[in-house]
Amino acid sequence: MKSNITLIFEKGIDEELQNYIPEMDIEVADLKEIIPQILLRNDIPIPNVPEIEIVRHFVKLSHKNYGVDTGIYPLGSCTMKYNPKICESIERLPGFSQVHPLQEENQGSIELLYNISKFLGEITGMDGFTLQPAAGAHGELAGLLIMKKYFEHKGIKKEKIVVPDSAHGTNPASAKMAGFSIIELKSNEQGEVPLDHLEYAMQGGDVAGIMLTNPNTLGIFDRHIKEITQIVHNNGGLCYYDGANLNPMLGICRPRDMGFDIVHLNLHKTFATPHGGGGPGSGPIGVINDLSPFLPEPCIISTENGLVCKESAGKSIGRIKSFWGNFGVIVRAYAYILALGAEGLLRVGKIAVLNANYLRILLQQKYKLPYNRICQHEFVISDKNMPNNITTEDIAKRILDYGIYAPTIYFPLIIQGALMIEPTETESKESLDYFVEIMNKIYEEAKENPEILKSAPHNLPVKRLDAVLAARKPVLHD
Amino acid sequence: MDFVPHDRKTITEMLRVIGVADIEELFQDIPKDLIKEKLDLPTGLSEPDLFRHMEEISRKNKIYTSSFLGAGCYYHYIPSLVDFVISRSEFYTSYTPYQAEASQGYLQAIYEYQTMISRLTQMDIANASMYDGSTALAEAAIMTTLITNKKSIFMLEGIHPEYIEVVKTYCWGQNISIEITTEDKLLNQLNEDVAALLFQSPNFFGDIEDISKLVKHVREKAPNCLLVQVMTDPTCLGVIKPPGLTDIDIFVAEGQSFGISPSFGGPGLGIFTAKKKYLRKMPGRLVGKTKEINGTREGFILTLQAREQHIRREKASSNICTNQALCSLAALVYLLAMGRTGLKGIATQNFQKAHYLKSKIGKIPGYKILNTKPTYNEFLVKCPSIDSLIYQCKQRNLLPPLKISKYYPQMKNTALVCITEMNSKDSIEAFIQAAQVALNNKAEG
Amino acid sequence: MSYEFPSDLKYTTSHEWVNLNDSIATVGITDYAQHQLGDIVFVELPAIGMVLEKESNAGEIESVKAVGDLLMPLSGEIVEINEQLAESPELVNSSPFREGWMIKIKIFNTIEIDELISVERYKELVKSEE
Repeated sequence: MKSNITLIFEKGIDEELQNYIPEMDIEVADLKEIIPQILLRNDIPIPNVPEIEIVRHFVKLSHKNYGVDTGIYPLGSCTMKYNPKICESIERLPGFSQVHPLQEENQGSIELLYNISKFLGEITGMDGFTLQPAAGAHGELAGLLIMKKYFEHKGIKKEKIVVPDSAHGTNPASAKMAGFSIIELKSNEQGEVPLDHLEYAMQGGDVAGIMLTNPNTLGIFDRHIKEITQIVHNNGGLCYYDGANLNPMLGICRPRDMGFDIVHLNLHKTFATPHGGGGPGSGPIGVINDLSPFLPEPCIISTENGLVCKESAGKSIGRIKSFWGNFGVIVRAYAYILALGAEGLLRVGKIAVLNANYLRILLQQKYKLPYNRICQHEFVISDKNMPNNITTEDIAKRILDYGIYAPTIYFPLIIQGALMIEPTETESKESLDYFVEIMNKIYEEAKENPEILKSAPHNLPVKRLDAVLAARKPVLHD
Repeated sequence: MDFVPHDRKTITEMLRVIGVADIEELFQDIPKDLIKEKLDLPTGLSEPDLFRHMEEISRKNKIYTSSFLGAGCYYHYIPSLVDFVISRSEFYTSYTPYQAEASQGYLQAIYEYQTMISRLTQMDIANASMYDGSTALAEAAIMTTLITNKKSIFMLEGIHPEYIEVVKTYCWGQNISIEITTEDKLLNQLNEDVAALLFQSPNFFGDIEDISKLVKHVREKAPNCLLVQVMTDPTCLGVIKPPGLTDIDIFVAEGQSFGISPSFGGPGLGIFTAKKKYLRKMPGRLVGKTKEINGTREGFILTLQAREQHIRREKASSNICTNQALCSLAALVYLLAMGRTGLKGIATQNFQKAHYLKSKIGKIPGYKILNTKPTYNEFLVKCPSIDSLIYQCKQRNLLPPLKISKYYPQMKNTALVCITEMNSKDSIEAFIQAAQVALNNKAEG
Repeated sequence: MSYEFPSDLKYTTSHEWVNLNDSIATVGITDYAQHQLGDIVFVELPAIGMVLEKESNAGEIESVKAVGDLLMPLSGEIVEINEQLAESPELVNSSPFREGWMIKIKIFNTIEIDELISVERYKELVKSEE
């Protein structure tokens, strides 16, 4: 039977296509004289596909995909906001895209990196910044290595990190990569960090600090944040702020003022650079003065002779990535900050929270909200009490049928059948109302016609796919 | 400007539905003294003002007519259709394809990327990407320690110095020891406690190693030591033997050469491949082919996710989440556009043009090619005065080669020269002229 | 939900079952445990000859959405592993107490046997977790 899928590798012609090879305008030597035969390969099992076939193939594939430009993308903790087109045009300017990382005449790039560090410093309250980390998790690793180095320099042995059970999975994984073991802290019934448990955990003496997301993954701002950071500091620890949820705090409240010592930002969330189907991102980290000497090298500093690049001062954790970081992403974020300015950024925070609460109020009429109180950028509903044993996965797959993307599902882990919803500030009221309308319709279907949910999706290129088969018998290429 | 689509009336209406008087009320959980008064940032700009401002900054970076600089970041021709495809907003404004049925387009593209990389490298499996070549190498080092349960890594000199630094940083985090050594000393030092040998070929200095020989020696001396190869410009695979045919355990590379602009060194693409038996220890995302649960159609899905941090949390072998998806799409489109003919053609031109310049430079008195092994598109030249050569290049609007003392202070007056298919004969002649003039005008340096 | 609880076996609080036959203990995970994990896609088992302490990690059981540990119920040497699980991890779901067994241990310390729990106590434990 013919497959429903056509891979590009099935296309191609025998013609030797040479469209993209410039003229060979020098005298050519016998390749065998340049390189011994034994080092050469015989064939390359890759087809020669005419340009029109390639273009049509990918345009067809794009029709089977969904982006923020298609419609609402309410993935909790992912901040799927609109990506301004001007930032794309700017990033493609030759003076940015064609610059070599090792060229000397790079004052434009250096100035941009320096300026955005200052902006991010103002936004978070932090003193020193590095732009090297390529993503949020990469920033977490850098931040935790800084913690490790800091205590190593002080000659204090600290081997554990406290992470609440509502944290993003990257937090414990990053702590582990930096050589720490994890103390998991159970959230209380308010979805917040229980102060007495934290106090107890910190008293062990070998705890380097805490990793915290605030607002947390339930969308709740921890009212005791100052007490939390105080407890950690009193016990000689440091506080790490996971900036994945910074969007609603823009212009409202700064991690430094909450008592944090290290923060990472996700430029591909808060600062509107495109997610690109999973990357590239950028995860700069900011630190307080005491920790600045430990930042990855190189750092850019301002001197009498202008901006200069400072190499190791001996305390740095070293490099975390080659060259300067994901510069192309940083350019877009810088342009975004300049476009919005102080006023615009404040409006981002406010409207992100307005939109989330608007959805929350309308959805709570039918759906169960385990933590139903004013939220910040996101909130979580649960499949508990759904009619006819309808699960979160059923709801999500049915949402896809209505032509929009589903929320984050089964996260945070502390809520049974979680659906985590983050609309962001760039969704219009019409778009939010449409989402509510669909969710209400799905609730009615769950009551009246549960089969249609259980077998969803129906209107997409494929029906529900077999994840078990994919994992038991992995087919990872053709 | 901002990108909020509400008018004032709408906001009032929404506040009424929520049941609060103003937006500030929604921030009631935040202690009053934590509320920031006003950010000290410039006022927002309109699009034309923003564009003008950004263009001015971009002009402070010099753009040359031709480049002789590589060292981990390369100027290769990028077919126009690469940017066309990655600019389809169904791709670039999408998230990680967690909802498979609504993401079949991107999932198939990643599956095709994995297939493309497997075929090009002849390695069993490729993941969906890492951040860049340096972090791919560091993650490979960590992966070998998990496979072997050993905590010692050897690296051969000739790995990109910044990659060495990154591997050191990652390994320090997990108390993995590192030894940097040479091929000569290696065989005496290898022992049963070594998890892996990491090496680069073509290496940082341009040398193409005889990998079959190296592999044979290592296997004889330490059968359980894994071999990890890294490459900074994998366009050479259009001509040279792929790592899958030389018994390499893990092969990683920087994929920037495959259709991605230099962009001041990022974003690039971390290519990560391995033998199939190491699949479960592999970091990063993987797309697999599967079938409908209740149907016959085939489709694609993120698979083996239980390896990853969002499920395994602190037990995961890596913390990677966001990767370089859009760059892997660019690489796929680039490699398809090239096809087998183009890949061979490009690699051949890089060999030929570099060889041409190498033989010409070597004949200028005072200049000496330092490579004794075959080279691809980079090679080392000892110069009478590197500063003078750099000056003369700039005079001719040529991006000068790397002054290698930046990384190896003891290697004075030595240039790492890079040539690709982008260098026309005219630019090569201009470089030769610059080298000749630099010889006569040492003082200018 | 009703689960199978064979009465001739011993159990652990971490959901392993143990079948004792002189000094050799056969070990797997319980019906309740496999239900909690869902469709099992991969089982990683220790190498034969490894000597492991009681409660140390002997293996990992992966489903699509979760990962579980196989803990040593008793200290001892791994003398046999269920090779079939490499190709057919689904046996753990379809037959957790028979074809889905995981490891055989040569036990060192018979005193530890008394620390295993009875089927009655294990049933209570499952009830309280549900």
